[in-house]
Amino acid sequence: MIDVSAFHDALGIMFASAGSWGWIVPGLIIGLIFSAIPGISITMAMAIVLPMSLYMDFFPAIVFLTSVYTGAGFGGSVPAILMNIPGTPSSFATTFDGFAMSQKGLHNEALGHALFASTICGIFGYVLLLLLIEPLADIVLRIGPLEMFAVAIWGMLLLGSLGSTYISRGLLAAAFGVLLGTVGMNTAGFTRGTLGIPVLLDGISPIPAMIGLLAAGQLLGLAGRDYIIDADGAREVSIRRILAGCWGTLKYPGVLLRGSIIGVVIGAVPGVGSSIGNLIAYAETKRTAKDSATFGTGNPKGVIAAESAVASGEGGSMATMLALGIPGGGATAILIAAFMMHNIVPGPGLIQSQKPMVYAIILNNMVQATVLLAVGVAFIYVAANVVKVRTRYVLPSVLVVATLGTYAVTGEIAGPITLFIFALLGFALSRYEYPIPAVVVGILLGRMLETEFLRSYQISGGDPLYLFQRPGAVAIVGVMVASLGMTAWSKRKQRRAEAAEEAALLRQLEQDKVPAPPRASAIKG
Amino acid sequence: MTDFTRREAFRLVAGSVGVASGLVAMPSILRAADYPTRPINVIVPFATGGYNDRLSRAFAPYLEKELGQPLVIVNKPGAGTQLGNSYALNQPADGYSILCTSAAPYIPLTVLLQNAPYKVEDFSMLNLPSRDYTLAATSSDSPIKTFAEVIEKLQADPGSLSIGVQPASADYANMVLAFQAAKIDPSKLRIVTYDGGGPARNATAGAQVDVGFVGGEGFLPLVSKIRPLAIFAEETVDWYPDAPLIGASGLKVDFVEGSQRGWVVTTKLKKEQPEIFKFLSGALERASKNPKAIEALKLQQLATTWYGPEASEKAYLANADKMAKYIDLMK
Repeated sequence: MIDVSAFHDALGIMFASAGSWGWIVPGLIIGLIFSAIPGISITMAMAIVLPMSLYMDFFPAIVFLTSVYTGAGFGGSVPAILMNIPGTPSSFATTFDGFAMSQKGLHNEALGHALFASTICGIFGYVLLLLLIEPLADIVLRIGPLEMFAVAIWGMLLLGSLGSTYISRGLLAAAFGVLLGTVGMNTAGFTRGTLGIPVLLDGISPIPAMIGLLAAGQLLGLAGRDYIIDADGAREVSIRRILAGCWGTLKYPGVLLRGSIIGVVIGAVPGVGSSIGNLIAYAETKRTAKDSATFGTGNPKGVIAAESAVASGEGGSMATMLALGIPGGGATAILIAAFMMHNIVPGPGLIQSQKPMVYAIILNNMVQATVLLAVGVAFIYVAANVVKVRTRYVLPSVLVVATLGTYAVTGEIAGPITLFIFALLGFALSRYEYPIPAVVVGILLGRMLETEFLRSYQISGGDPLYLFQRPGAVAIVGVMVASLGMTAWSKRKQRRAEAAEEAALLRQLEQDKVPAPPRASAIKG
Repeated sequence: MTDFTRREAFRLVAGSVGVASGLVAMPSILRAADYPTRPINVIVPFATGGYNDRLSRAFAPYLEKELGQPLVIVNKPGAGTQLGNSYALNQPADGYSILCTSAAPYIPLTVLLQNAPYKVEDFSMLNLPSRDYTLAATSSDSPIKTFAEVIEKLQADPGSLSIGVQPASADYANMVLAFQAAKIDPSKLRIVTYDGGGPARNATAGAQVDVGFVGGEGFLPLVSKIRPLAIFAEETVDWYPDAPLIGASGLKVDFVEGSQRGWVVTTKLKKEQPEIFKFLSGALERASKNPKAIEALKLQQLATTWYGPEASEKAYLANADKMAKYIDLMK
């Protein structure tokens, strides 16, 4: 639990270096802008500012970099909501209901929901972190491949809630995505599907592939329209409605809490990152919601659930980094480098010797998240104006920026080529009604599924009873099966009740011997 | 009519050709004499934040002082350094592109395993200050205390312990060599593969696997969570003196040295512009021996040892030969 005297010292560090607080707003804005541009990841934004931070003192440098990180955690949801193209993989699940909301003219509210869900859960994640950083670090190291495999399967369950006209095509699309996710050299050193292209040894880069797939279908769909939102009156940008959306987020404390816990735990696992947390949080919220049928058609809970796991996941990732010196993802790897460049080595030693500093960093992240509430409102107010621009101007700009973004990742032409190929693929998939999100989920999870399954097999020597030596994995599978079972049970009950009601209604109609009136009015009566 | 005789005309033409060819040839001579006149690119074939990236950025201010020009760090990650290496070979041999990289094992590995379109000899070493070695370790709460115990257990039952290692690496070759020396059939071991040193270290520290074979240097932040069993080095390693040498375990094992990281140029530069090569190596030597640089880099756990081009080249080629010899173990 929390060490009171270290906490006191941490407050001292915070206020002694109050000048470094000036880096919060620029950091947040850089993070927001970079992550809102499709094709540029959080990692890249951090990589670009890392050399700058070399010329600062330690605490301001860390404040600056973590502010970029905090801002980037939210920015990705802006294009996800407005254009159905996630800025970063971690806001992929936000597109499901966010874009549907903006189609209904609720883009102000959707952006408000996303901002508050992301930020409040981020703060909650850091509070958890402050209390639990040491035990969490030990738990993280104990998470083995079998537990990770169970988590990946849990993420795949999202496929069930994506909904598509044909189940067979949905499954086929997911299998195709998983297959694409396994291209490259696997963990055992075998190379598959690289066509002799060296770039593919590291696998298909998920960001250009995802943007290509999603943007192609989406942009072609939008090209026929004048504006992103059809209805004339709906294209307003209103600070009042954004704030109403922000405030409305607080009506769903259950969704926020569940999302943050999922986010923190999954974010803390090294090598998983926040791109999976949002999928699981969305799927779980949808499955347990009473109105699950309206998810995907603009249910605010969908936006809130997805975003709740993003910023909290960063908290989890930060815990692993500070406590163990292990990066949870690309962005924390850069933070570690920044620490080391200032002669501070994150890891178990850091927590023991410099606990006040660790607390001060966590506290500063809470401050950043609070500041983001205000900066974020201003940012979405500006960004939402894209709905007022004709699609003939928006679409080419988005395409150009996304192409540049994917080029900028490595400075290699491989990014734009991937984008182009996957755009063609995305066009073909949507033309023949294969669900593109299923392919994206497959690409995001394919590698993890294969790697962790292979390692579980290697560790156990192929013995399935190994499952019972891993209580953690049993617990995850247990919760998953229970959750599925309960959903199936309640759905069945619901269906039965509906059927019974309908039968009773029909009986009554027959007894009354009146000609059957239109059904809608019958239900009303 | 002009007063020119034919001979004079010929002389004029010949002279101007001579001057022109002199002008064409001049720049390379000038370049060598004035070098460097503009910023120098340091190609790091890894993403920002890795060892080589940190080394190049931390060392840059001291090297810049000796070179008299700023350094620009260019990260070219991908395909196990093959992309960055190819990029470096495609730059003109004018001394404005140098590499900061894990020369070993990555250059030989890309050549031997990925059929990279270059040779080990296409790169020349300036200085390789950082030397890493394979470390066999367990989690600190493991019942295993020594490497001899590991051998004993595996001799009795090769499947009794799980072993975490990165395939296609020097660590993997060393693991197989050690167990072959102990007459343990490697094909019967329970080997768990990791696609990077980081995940393999986490699995070792978290007791996911019983024994991990992985580059030792990366363990330093996690040193309190592991117990070193054997390090595959000839002499006690200065950054981890607690680690027992593999020789002390009683096994007679040949092994491949681990990573050799530092400053590299293309062999084309060394051959065509020997003055530039000499200038670069002189600047590196002075910067490496600068007490301020040594102190600053030590705080970041970065190496500054000066071995020089000859010794570095020798170590690199010896390492590459060992890897070629044992490449079948790495596949």
